[in-house]
Amino acid sequence: MANFFPRWTNWLPLKIAICGGVIVCGLTGATWYYVTPKYTRVGYTPVQPVPFPHDIHVSQLGMDCRYCHSFVDVAAHSNLPNTQTCMACHTQVQKDNPKLEPVRASWKSGQPVEWVQLHRTPDYVFYNHAAHVNRGISCASCHGQINHMSVVRHAKPHSMAWCLECHRHPENFLRPETQITNMDWKPDWEKPAEFVAKYGQPKDATDDWSKKEKLTQQEIGLTLKERWNIQPTVNCQGCHR
Amino acid sequence: MKRVFEHPAEKLTGKRYWRSLNEFSDTPEFRGWLEREFPSGAAQLNGDEWSRRGFLKLMGASMALAGFGLTSCRRPEMHLVPFSKSVEWTIPGKALYYATAMPRRTGAIPLIAATVDGRPIKLEGNPLHPASGGATDAFAQASLLDLYDPARAKRFAEVKEKEENGEKKRVLETRDRAAFEKYLADLQTKIAADGGAGLAFLSEEVHSPTRERLRTKLQEKYPKMRWCVYDPLLTEAQSFATQLSFGDNARLVPRLERADVVLAIDSDFLDCGEGDLAGIRAFSSRRRIGEAKETMNRLYTVENCFTLTGAMADHRMRCPASQIPAFTRALAGKIAIATKDQGLASTIATLSEPVNAMQFDDAWLTECANDLMAKPGASLVLAGPHQPVVVQLMVYAINSALKNVGATLVIREFIKTPKTNSILQLAGEMNSGRIKQLFILGGDPVYNAPKGITIDKDTKAPVDWTDLQKKVPDVVRLGYYEDATSELSTWQVPSAHYLESWSDALTNDGAYLAIQPMILPLFGGMSELDLMNAVLGNAKVDGPELVQETFRATAPPGDFQTAWTQLLRDGFATHVALKEKPPTFNSNNAGGVAHTLWTSAPNPTLDAPEIVLTRSYNIDDGRYINNGWLQELPDPITKLTWDNAALMSPAMAKHLGVETGDLINIAVTETTKDTNGKNIRRELVIAALISPGHADNSISIALGYGRKRTGPIGEEAGFNGFLLRNSSNPHFIAVDSKTVESVSVTTAPTEKQPASPSPGAPSAAPTTPPKVRAHTLGSYALSITQDHWSIEGRGLVREASLEHYREDPEFVKKIAGDEELPARLPSIYSHPPLTAEQQWGMSVDLNVCTGCSACIIACQAENNIPIVGKLQVGHGRAMHWLRLDRYYASEKPFNQDLGEYPENPEIVHEPMMCQHCENAPCETVCPVNATVHSEDGLNVMAYNRCIGTRYCANNCPFKVRRFNFFDYNQRPMGKKKVGPLEVYQEYIAPFTEKGAPDTTKLQKNPNVTVRMRGVMEKCTYCVQRIEEAKIAAHVKAGASPNTRIPTDSFTSACAQVCPTGAIVFGDVKDPESKVSKMKMQDRNYRLLEYLNVNTRTSYLARIRNPNPKMPDANRIAVASLGHESHENGAKHEPAEMKPEEKP
Repeated sequence: MANFFPRWTNWLPLKIAICGGVIVCGLTGATWYYVTPKYTRVGYTPVQPVPFPHDIHVSQLGMDCRYCHSFVDVAAHSNLPNTQTCMACHTQVQKDNPKLEPVRASWKSGQPVEWVQLHRTPDYVFYNHAAHVNRGISCASCHGQINHMSVVRHAKPHSMAWCLECHRHPENFLRPETQITNMDWKPDWEKPAEFVAKYGQPKDATDDWSKKEKLTQQEIGLTLKERWNIQPTVNCQGCHR
Repeated sequence: MKRVFEHPAEKLTGKRYWRSLNEFSDTPEFRGWLEREFPSGAAQLNGDEWSRRGFLKLMGASMALAGFGLTSCRRPEMHLVPFSKSVEWTIPGKALYYATAMPRRTGAIPLIAATVDGRPIKLEGNPLHPASGGATDAFAQASLLDLYDPARAKRFAEVKEKEENGEKKRVLETRDRAAFEKYLADLQTKIAADGGAGLAFLSEEVHSPTRERLRTKLQEKYPKMRWCVYDPLLTEAQSFATQLSFGDNARLVPRLERADVVLAIDSDFLDCGEGDLAGIRAFSSRRRIGEAKETMNRLYTVENCFTLTGAMADHRMRCPASQIPAFTRALAGKIAIATKDQGLASTIATLSEPVNAMQFDDAWLTECANDLMAKPGASLVLAGPHQPVVVQLMVYAINSALKNVGATLVIREFIKTPKTNSILQLAGEMNSGRIKQLFILGGDPVYNAPKGITIDKDTKAPVDWTDLQKKVPDVVRLGYYEDATSELSTWQVPSAHYLESWSDALTNDGAYLAIQPMILPLFGGMSELDLMNAVLGNAKVDGPELVQETFRATAPPGDFQTAWTQLLRDGFATHVALKEKPPTFNSNNAGGVAHTLWTSAPNPTLDAPEIVLTRSYNIDDGRYINNGWLQELPDPITKLTWDNAALMSPAMAKHLGVETGDLINIAVTETTKDTNGKNIRRELVIAALISPGHADNSISIALGYGRKRTGPIGEEAGFNGFLLRNSSNPHFIAVDSKTVESVSVTTAPTEKQPASPSPGAPSAAPTTPPKVRAHTLGSYALSITQDHWSIEGRGLVREASLEHYREDPEFVKKIAGDEELPARLPSIYSHPPLTAEQQWGMSVDLNVCTGCSACIIACQAENNIPIVGKLQVGHGRAMHWLRLDRYYASEKPFNQDLGEYPENPEIVHEPMMCQHCENAPCETVCPVNATVHSEDGLNVMAYNRCIGTRYCANNCPFKVRRFNFFDYNQRPMGKKKVGPLEVYQEYIAPFTEKGAPDTTKLQKNPNVTVRMRGVMEKCTYCVQRIEEAKIAAHVKAGASPNTRIPTDSFTSACAQVCPTGAIVFGDVKDPESKVSKMKMQDRNYRLLEYLNVNTRTSYLARIRNPNPKMPDANRIAVASLGHESHENGAKHEPAEMKPEEKP
């Protein structure tokens, strides 16, 4: 009787199984990576009607975030500046710059400039800016170093897991209330003696932190967390209503 | 060893609580509702609709096809659009609050409107003004939906007569505002030609000083014009009697907080739909009882059909509406003899003994009269406004004899108004052709004017308004909808909503309120004031100038601009107040008029019952017919949605051989004759509804339904009671010797009226075969929610009489076996860590809950709850998070096999929403953790996690979870004609247009997720408000540790709206909060305590205050306790009192 199956087919099932396994794992891994916000969102840099350079306005001119995003500390939304705000300066400065044409047109016609939305939470997520920026969370914690971006882009994933990283361990992100809009702030900047004089230190700290050479983010965060009674919710209702 | 859990034995020694006659008789239909969370079939598309399997197949196919067309997985590019110039006060996403007011028939309600990004999203009462006290009613809440109604009139239209297929039709043709203004200018020259002799205005009743001012101006310009006011539910009887008894411009203000004993004679004064929120609050302030030693008021009612007042009563007598004059006379006689009051004696002296009147229980009457007389100056007798003048006069005389006038009944001098004609006078003039230009401001007279409104001179036959309106050459109609009246007008002008226009109004006790617009007219509508101003020939006014002028005339103290700003800020002005009048009752006037007007109809019989036309709790006189929230709101008493029906007692139904839902034919033969010399016969085919506690020989029909032309919500809803109504019998039709020859109620169709086929919708009505059931007219599907979400008797409602409460302040624990519970119930589940500083909870005081249902609508408005339509309500898919369970309570067992039913049960209302169990059964069964517990004690729902298994609903012992069976927010619902077929659009959802109408979207609360199909939802304790308060506290705290929300600084939507403050929400951990104080009272109980669910919502037991001397005292509120009856001393044996077991 002829041999229906040549010899090489003996290994075929194993090969198929291995290949199949690799393909399935590959697909899973690829999906895992490519559809997560880390991939789909981070780096999103849409073309805006006006190429607004945050770096010039913030780093070079030293403007505070709240000059334009004026209601960030009172409202849930951080508003975009209206045309009036832009024109407060740009009737004097760069008043003929062709890049600012849409702003000038809006000023004349009263029709708003349509900015492309960059950071978007789903409809069932209720994020509140005021609750964060008044309680020691900096703009930079969620939006990255916007002050160095000439074109603004999505810097952090804004996924639920990412939110919870901070809600579970806020001490890794808290900073003094005066440094919220200071995008370049680093824990090293805080002088331990001054910091401890102002905010004290956690009750369970064993040594005197004011004597330290430098304070770590953890130490600053734990101090502020205790002093300000920071207890971020990790319950559904905090964001989903 | 397996242990089967058993509920504690029900202590039903005397009283039984039941929701419907089905439950009372324990029918299989009721079992179906009881045993399942969602009724059998609720999860299936059944009947003549699609099968679930077929539907899924189709959906699968379309999904696969959609896969081929996947174009892009990238998110769509969305835009952020800031203002080009800053808007004053506006912070994007933050609510702004403005004071305004809702004009109403009886007086405006001061409101605070919350607007977000320029659109009003929620109305609340103005807490600064006592006419609201922070509360509102269902109509005020729902009026917001009217603003965004996609079906409202959106265009100026000229009505043209056109011939189509040989038929003359009146068609509305779209015009613009300029065309209307041109027409109006031409009209003005016509009006001016004869000094306004042909000009007439027909308006609705609202008390607006600016309207009165413009009207006076119009009268100066056109001295011969006529001004008429018509409101189908407003009667002149009461105001006429008031003027007669207490002088011109007198207005009576009942001071219920001073009354110890109140007798309501056919008066539904606790119905907050009439707008008297202050009165209801005053009444409930005497009803609220903190501890056993406190006192409470006592309420007697005499009425034909159960009202909210009747449900609240301590003693209730069923009495046909036509027998109220006889009752009042009998009562007045008793009081006159006992008090020897001259005024009362002379008022009733000449009233003859009524013939064939109802025999009243003499003991009831005597003891009631004695109780009233025992509290001179602290009792109060109120008569319903639709009772005739004589009843009103007698009631005033009784109050005067009881020294109540000036004490519990205060007389105020109302602002003098120029003479107003009635619609009857107007109709007469229209008939004689004197009216050439008619302005109809609001209302819908073609639909709701009395039939046979005037007698034609030539034919001597009555004429209907429809024919009269055709006789007027120029009719301008300002209407909110394009309806029957618009069609018979010359021009239809879209009316602006009160939230879109400047105006002012008076409350029912005469306080001056400002009405300021929240939004520009969405569809370019005109307000009444705009139109009147235009008729005056003045230029268009956009701002508040017209109102400012009126306000200036009231001479506000100080600088005008400051006073005006203050008015807009507070919503009311304090310098305008009504003067008190001396409390003198003019018995000479009253006696004379009473003598001439005295008439008493004979007692109606089963064969010739009286027909009573009532105000609908849902849609008022029909003005809210197109409001989906109100349509779907179950009637507080009958729990009927989307329809009205002929309410009758079980005895009456048995006599007619009908069941709920069967159609009956009501025919009224009048004594007036038509052109052929035949007696006029008015007929109405209407579905019957058996309502326990209704007077026998009497049928009640709510007005306002059965409209041919309005929006899609209102069309086809209910039956038109106005068809029976003529000008001589506007409120009840009973056979008397004068106007009504006969009234017949049959189940047989008349010659003209063929049997109407039953609509395709499955009937929610009972289908048990009665002994004799006439089927000639067929039946009609009514969607009644009284059995929905039923829970078997588990001591859910607990009540006692005041006497018993004093004997045993802990009675509430002894009803459902709570006292037998171990101190700490065992639990196999780990309890959630309730670590938050503040813990939320709720308390509901059943003693002051009137059942008005305002909370349901407030919840719907706040939480973006969709309406589901009549069919889906019938299937048990209604979405209300908060439901109001209405329980009937009756004492002795009845043998249903012999057709015995309790004649006069009591009613207890119980608001029921998610109880926020600390050990929530729903949480343990969710496979995806979509419902979990928060650290502040809430049972929270994460909609985006929910996969719709509905396990949670099945495990909920309170049946408070609601499931989105359809995409109510995105897809159209309800019947639609597709070719020759009528289909329900929800069943063909993939083929209907997706997306809500733009205007409907504007109403949604931006702080609450709009849920999609397949998601479970339930009461959240208004978590968005809790979080908002928390965030505000955190923002305020900033760099400091104090994040505590101030005590009672916010509340849930239902608690905020409640006119009596029955619902209280707050921090249960804070001993100073209102809710903690309520929970500390000894009447406090929690539902199903023995299940160890640890609910956060608790209830305060109902206390009634029966008069021990009354003949029915021993059966009021005492029976649920299982203790010895006071009166007869007989011991109730539990076994004996158990309901009959069914084979």
